[in-house]
Amino acid sequence: MSKTFSSGAGRRAFTSPTEDPLWLKALLGAVTVGFIGILLLMPLVLVFKEAFANGVGAFWNAVVEPDTLASVRLSLVAAAIAVPLNTLFGIAAAWCVAKFDFPGKTFLVTLIDLPFSVSPVVSGLIYVLVFGMQGWFGKYLVANDIHILFALPGIVLATIFVTFPFVARELIPLMQDQGRDEEEAAATLGASGLGTFVRVTLPNIKWGLLYSVLLCNARALGEFGAVSVVSGHIRGVTNTMPLHVELLYNNYDYVGAFAVSALLAMLALITLALKSLLEWRYADELAAVHRH
Amino acid sequence: MSLTVDSVSKKFGRFAALNGASFVAPQGGFVSLLGPSGSGKTTLLRILGGLEFADSGMVRFADLNWLDMPARTRNAGFVFQQYALFRHMTVADNIAFGLKVRPRARRPSRSEIRERVKSLLDLVQLPGLEGRYPSQLSGGQRQRVALARALAIEPRMLLLDEPFGALDAKVRKELRADLRRIHDHAGVTTVFVTHDQEEAFAVADLVAVMKDGRIEQYGVPADVRRNPKTAFVSEFLAA
Amino acid sequence: MSAIGLKIPLPRSRHVLPGFSLSLGFTLFYLTGIVLIPLLALVIRPFELGWDGFWAAISTPRVLASLRLSFGMALFAAVIDSVFGFIVAWVLVRYRFPGRGLLDAIIDLPFALPTAVAGIALSTLYAPNGWLGSLLIPYGIRIAYTPWGVLLAMVFIGLPFSVRTLEPVLREVGHELEEAAATLGATRVQTITKVVIPMLLPALLTGAAMAFARGVGEYGSIIFIAGNIPAVSEIAPLLIVTKLEQYDYAGAAAIGVVMLTASFIMLLAINGLQSWAAKRR
Repeated sequence: MSKTFSSGAGRRAFTSPTEDPLWLKALLGAVTVGFIGILLLMPLVLVFKEAFANGVGAFWNAVVEPDTLASVRLSLVAAAIAVPLNTLFGIAAAWCVAKFDFPGKTFLVTLIDLPFSVSPVVSGLIYVLVFGMQGWFGKYLVANDIHILFALPGIVLATIFVTFPFVARELIPLMQDQGRDEEEAAATLGASGLGTFVRVTLPNIKWGLLYSVLLCNARALGEFGAVSVVSGHIRGVTNTMPLHVELLYNNYDYVGAFAVSALLAMLALITLALKSLLEWRYADELAAVHRH
Repeated sequence: MSLTVDSVSKKFGRFAALNGASFVAPQGGFVSLLGPSGSGKTTLLRILGGLEFADSGMVRFADLNWLDMPARTRNAGFVFQQYALFRHMTVADNIAFGLKVRPRARRPSRSEIRERVKSLLDLVQLPGLEGRYPSQLSGGQRQRVALARALAIEPRMLLLDEPFGALDAKVRKELRADLRRIHDHAGVTTVFVTHDQEEAFAVADLVAVMKDGRIEQYGVPADVRRNPKTAFVSEFLAA
Repeated sequence: MSAIGLKIPLPRSRHVLPGFSLSLGFTLFYLTGIVLIPLLALVIRPFELGWDGFWAAISTPRVLASLRLSFGMALFAAVIDSVFGFIVAWVLVRYRFPGRGLLDAIIDLPFALPTAVAGIALSTLYAPNGWLGSLLIPYGIRIAYTPWGVLLAMVFIGLPFSVRTLEPVLREVGHELEEAAATLGATRVQTITKVVIPMLLPALLTGAAMAFARGVGEYGSIIFIAGNIPAVSEIAPLLIVTKLEQYDYAGAAAIGVVMLTASFIMLLAINGLQSWAAKRR
């Protein structure tokens, strides 16, 4: 009689309804690893391999070469100007959008989003049209020997344009989510605007702020298209690091090009690592941001 | 064609959710698994539905080794506590889902499906709501749709996991009565999980009071109430 | 005496919190100077040639070919990114395996890596004598210096958009809906096609739209691996640069306006898709 009660449990005759069968897991897993490995990982590995293709010595020489150092300096200066300005903008924009109501808010936010969707070349083009020889202010600038394009100011402007949404886009949803209660409480307690911001708002947004400044900085140092249009490509003078990479590559100096690229790639990896770290430790605060 | 559950056990890691649960219910019976959270009632239900695997024990129903079959083939309608309605589908498509996924040979025609959906909506007292989306319905309405969806496949077993838990008292009472009515009409063996003893006693033919993965007492509601077998049962019912 | 004479000063600002005018003022000033005025210059410039001049500028064969290439390949790349992005997101969200966190972090690489670096790396990798290019040459497949190079670069930079848009939605879908489908008799394939994918549709489209928008405008990652041969493998942004170098400001601006319009449309489309997704909750 116990035959009819042969145990069916204890051995899995089938997979759980929400789990994929093993063969499918293996297939999708292989496709994923293969795809990511080939598409994303290989180029990265190649950068470092080519940079050190002639040994560490050659790599080092390429890095300390005067034009390279000049490009590093230029990149750093441009970022040092653009990032703080954009951070200030981001804070101001987030403050007025998150803590107040006013007509046209949506349009404002869309406008802030715009550089993200615009081609980098167009981002540079618009400044050429304003400051270039045949641009609106072209004649005036030439007459007064003011150099915007083909010089630092132009590079800074183009960099500002492509990176200014970063901080704003991160802070706006974050501050919107946090609401106005705390700031209103501070106001009733007599705090000034700046005081409220520093003591109440800033601590709440600090990780989102750090995160977005990090990304803003990485993009500022790495921007190519927009800066390429406005810079004039003058070797050793108006080439940022990415432009210098292009110059070296086009001159068949592969070790040099990849050496500078390796520097930029290391910066990218550090940015990614810090980004992951911040995401992991401060997931809740950043969650509000990523809902967008 | 009774439902026989024999010494079913299940561990999650080191936690024993079920520790040898057993009961027998007649064909067409209405059993309530009653107990506090952590008693294993939902785990047992999910095992009956094929959504979890038992570590040991066995279940026989309709002359089948129930646990040998994947959820897909058991034809056990399952009603979830949070409804689990397909948000991107209309009410009609939700209800018809179980019919539409059948292999061609067993699939009813489009007009048959439409008829079936209509009569089911009438049965759960939501006539005319075919074209609505779940987001447009109240909680009580969603649960009725979930019930209709489970019934559409003409299940041989109906499993409900605290289906009225998320609803307010008045709606619960209505739905409870409707569920009983539908059960009596369809004659389907029903297992109903709840932590609310009033609900269990009002609606079920047989009540299984559970604690720590075991069935402490099992019987007709009146018996269980009058003759609690253990201290836990009498305390739980007194609460 | 009587207190009725007390005058209560009216609040000067209508806002509870301070700093409105300052922050809004600065924001508007910044936006106007950095964004609006230059964009205005772009929009006005092509029309110094008049409408006819504008149309003539953008309808030369070379310009049309570049637009076709940029938009066409970007669309193709968006589709590829959606398909593979779905698989990758599925694996990352649903499966557990060692190294998953690392794999997840690498997805952001195209975001973080400067485009010029990506450009020369891809170009070197897929050149006829490159690691991968040399493997494909015997089969007659050329990637670098052809339109396929353009496609590859666009797939590279668009992937994170697809994956990152899908991941949170996949996580939200959760298991209950799939369990429900299973109890109703659906096979795994049916569950995926009838329940999971339709639920992911807004996110899939949003990710695709973002990848498309990015691909259309991309410059640095593409110009090294593309052949840049006019009317064959020359992308629109490159043509803009070329025209600028020839001092054809109006011509460059004309193409720029086309691209700006496309960007704006994509921006609105993406915002629309995101509200559609939110409404579905």
